Amino acid sequence: MTAYKRVQQWNTFARVWHLYDATWQNPFESAQRIMKYLKGLHKPIYHPLNDCGDHVVVINSGEIALLGDEWRKRVYFHHTGYPGGATWTLAWELHDKDPTMIMKKAVYNVMDGNLQRRYTMQRLHIYPDDDVPEKIKQNITNQIRQLRPVPKRLDRYAPEEVQRFPKVMDWPKNYILR
Amino acid sequence: MSNSHLFLPSGFPRAPLQNGIGRFVCQLQRITIKFCKSNGSSRGVREFIEKDLLDFAHNYPGIVVYVKPRRHHSPCLSAEYLNGERQYVNCHNHSRDEVIKWVNLLRTESGNQIIRLRKMWHTDCPSIQGPWSPFVNRDPHLNVVEFPNESLSRPVYLPKTATEQLKEIFEKQRQTNVSSLDEKQAE
Repeated sequence: MTAYKRVQQWNTFARVWHLYDATWQNPFESAQRIMKYLKGLHKPIYHPLNDCGDHVVVINSGEIALLGDEWRKRVYFHHTGYPGGATWTLAWELHDKDPTMIMKKAVYNVMDGNLQRRYTMQRLHIYPDDDVPEKIKQNITNQIRQLRPVPKRLDRYAPEEVQRFPKVMDWPKNYILR
Repeated sequence: MSNSHLFLPSGFPRAPLQNGIGRFVCQLQRITIKFCKSNGSSRGVREFIEKDLLDFAHNYPGIVVYVKPRRHHSPCLSAEYLNGERQYVNCHNHSRDEVIKWVNLLRTESGNQIIRLRKMWHTDCPSIQGPWSPFVNRDPHLNVVEFPNESLSRPVYLPKTATEQLKEIFEKQRQTNVSSLDEKQAE
């Protein structure tokens, strides 16, 4: 292998770092998308035997959105291996303990249970807020698009924008707003 | 791939030293024909030596031919190649035609070790476009972007929401109202 070919190989198999903002996103649908980048399925050179997966940095995993009453109904099961060691943790309890855990388990569960799964998971970096260490932040060169637009809260709008918003009706003069 | 290929080295087709691109160099260096003068198992080899060997040596002057009689042994062909490899063919009870066939095979071989071919073709120029890399067809604008970036994060195809449609209608109404007021003032 010549020096040129060697550099070409490094270039083709260079790992790209992607960023994913999990604010207000469904973690289980996002996991499908993140998994493709982790495995390298989005690349034309993909083959199950070649190691072409990318890194994904997930930020704001503390602000994920679950459907319906999933926070109260979804249960995470764990067994220590000892008799009576089974525990059932509700999604909101798990999220209180570790805000990255639901996202991590969602990605782990969409991947096939083969020997590569643990190594692929090592390329996933999850942070509960947008406070990412500088060492990881400087690698990021691409951003994965979110599944749904993030709605803007009323208190995030400037007061002029709120004033300018079209009103259907005015409150009566003697109406008391509570 | 079967079990018999487990210890067979694999590789890609390759001619020794680009042989045949300029001129062809016969890779067979010398061939030793061992046979018995009396044993019946050497009959075909003896016939080959009597009838074809002189022509063979005359046609291919680059190949050294040794003929080695030895008593009461089965005949064999031993070929040595330019790369130092050595091929051995047992010619026990072979007919003359079979011996001709084997000698021709040994003459035309490159002497390279037998390998499992991973591809049946070879090209020096596998792609005209050049190999793909994560950086081809990449928007150069992304080089100067600060991450996380909100516009890169938003989904690309979004249908208009009811709120946006309402705001548009409202804006349109206001425009028409303003223009009609202007007309009134002009009158």
